[in-house]
Amino acid sequence: MEVEKVKRIGRYFRLLGVFAKYSLMSALEYRINFITGMTVEVGWMLIKLLYVAIIYKAGTNIGILTPDHILLFVGTYMLMTGFYMLYFGNFASLPGMVQQGELDLYIVKPVSLQFLVTLRRLDFAYLLPELAAGVIMIVTGWRLAGLPAGILPVAGFVFYLVCGCLLTYSLFLLPYILSFWIVSVGGISDISNALWDFNNMPSLIYGKWFRRIGTYILPVFVITNFPGLFLMGELSPWACVWGVGAPALFFALTRAFWKASLKRYSSASS
Amino acid sequence: MSSGRCVFLMGVEQALEYRVSFFLSMLSAVFPIIIQTTMWNYLYRHSDAAAVFGYRHGEILLYTLLATIVSQLVGTGFEGEMNSDIKMGGLNKYLIRPMDYKGYRFFRFLGQKVPRVMVTMPVMAVITGAAFWQGLPVSAGRVLAFLCSLVLALFLNFSIFYCVGLLAFWLTDVDKLFGTISIVLTVVSGGVFPLDIFGGLVEKLVNLLPFGYTTQFPVNIINGRFGWARMGTGFAFQIGWIFVFACLGEVMWRRGIRRYAAVGG
Repeated sequence: MEVEKVKRIGRYFRLLGVFAKYSLMSALEYRINFITGMTVEVGWMLIKLLYVAIIYKAGTNIGILTPDHILLFVGTYMLMTGFYMLYFGNFASLPGMVQQGELDLYIVKPVSLQFLVTLRRLDFAYLLPELAAGVIMIVTGWRLAGLPAGILPVAGFVFYLVCGCLLTYSLFLLPYILSFWIVSVGGISDISNALWDFNNMPSLIYGKWFRRIGTYILPVFVITNFPGLFLMGELSPWACVWGVGAPALFFALTRAFWKASLKRYSSASS
Repeated sequence: MSSGRCVFLMGVEQALEYRVSFFLSMLSAVFPIIIQTTMWNYLYRHSDAAAVFGYRHGEILLYTLLATIVSQLVGTGFEGEMNSDIKMGGLNKYLIRPMDYKGYRFFRFLGQKVPRVMVTMPVMAVITGAAFWQGLPVSAGRVLAFLCSLVLALFLNFSIFYCVGLLAFWLTDVDKLFGTISIVLTVVSGGVFPLDIFGGLVEKLVNLLPFGYTTQFPVNIINGRFGWARMGTGFAFQIGWIFVFACLGEVMWRRGIRRYAAVGG
């Protein structure tokens, strides 16, 4: 039974590899489109970098965070934005697929429909600039802040990054699943995407209640703050558990909601 | 002029077509305001930020509140439609209408702004009133100067993005490029943060280039940062840049239309 499960997971990873390969081939076929896609992302990065520039110019700490720590936090935010943008296009096209009955084509395939619909197209043009800038900022902030660089801190940081990726996928897919229930989700998804931008600054800048809501109710702060806080040794044992529990909980929620919503889908074919 | 009025009214109708989307797009502007206000409050309470950035606390808060609104007010979005007109042959129908394409775009743009103006003006009035109550040097003259600069900013931004839209005559894949231009111009116009807080060369460039005159200049009039002399120079720059981009648009249109191949029966 366990071996079956592992085999299935392995199959999905291989499938993800195939999606990545075809997405990359398609991107390289339309090179100008790929380059202009990258320039759009660089434009958005410019705004994020302005926040860092202001913090450095002010030279002020935010609570326990020095400007170097903040560089690491904003770098983490950029990196996570890159990963989110990698598959975001699939989320955005879901409402159209539901309304026009395009799901019919995918529903008959012998793989998880949610997996296929939400991860089939990967946009590397959006990932690459954020990945490059994010990694540079993380490494620079890490070194300048004098944070530990042993195996355990690095592994913990990467672990919470992976948890953050799962949480991002789960939390931000929820509004798009609503498209099975209501005609237009444009407004709700706009608002949910705007929530993402609260990570432009470390959560410590916000008030206590705001932070609690953003950590435990709509846990957007968990995504980009927990890796850095773990590195600094500032995650309480309860927060360490929540950093793992929140992605698992929201993934289960998203999965259940997807299955319940799919029952409402009425095929558009004749 | 009556055809201009018709196009203007069409613009108003188009803006009111998707009301929920319109209000949600206005609402989504609230989030960056919350983030920025929180950041500025923190920095001004915990450091000598006024000396570092050259803005007093009240000035920067008023800037944050109004820049987002002004940026939305002068924002365009028609460049994508222009691209589609040029690429798909939709321009044909405008060529035979009793109004030139630029005039059509301009009146439609103005019409689309009406609902936004009606919603944002009372909000701006309340914010400005609160700023006056908090001791910022808001006066009737300053409000009038702000409104004048806002109208000129609208003209200037239209002229800039009309030229951007005309690039579709020469470039094949411009949709994403327009997205980039729009984001970058929002940043350099001061729509996110006032760029003169970085001082030195950046401040000089902001003062010389046209983009700051679409957002940063009007807002710095109302928050009391600019004196009357600086305002006069700013108005001259606004008018000058409008003239430059109007001429550039004319040249680009004449050259572009020669390249245009009308499609369709």
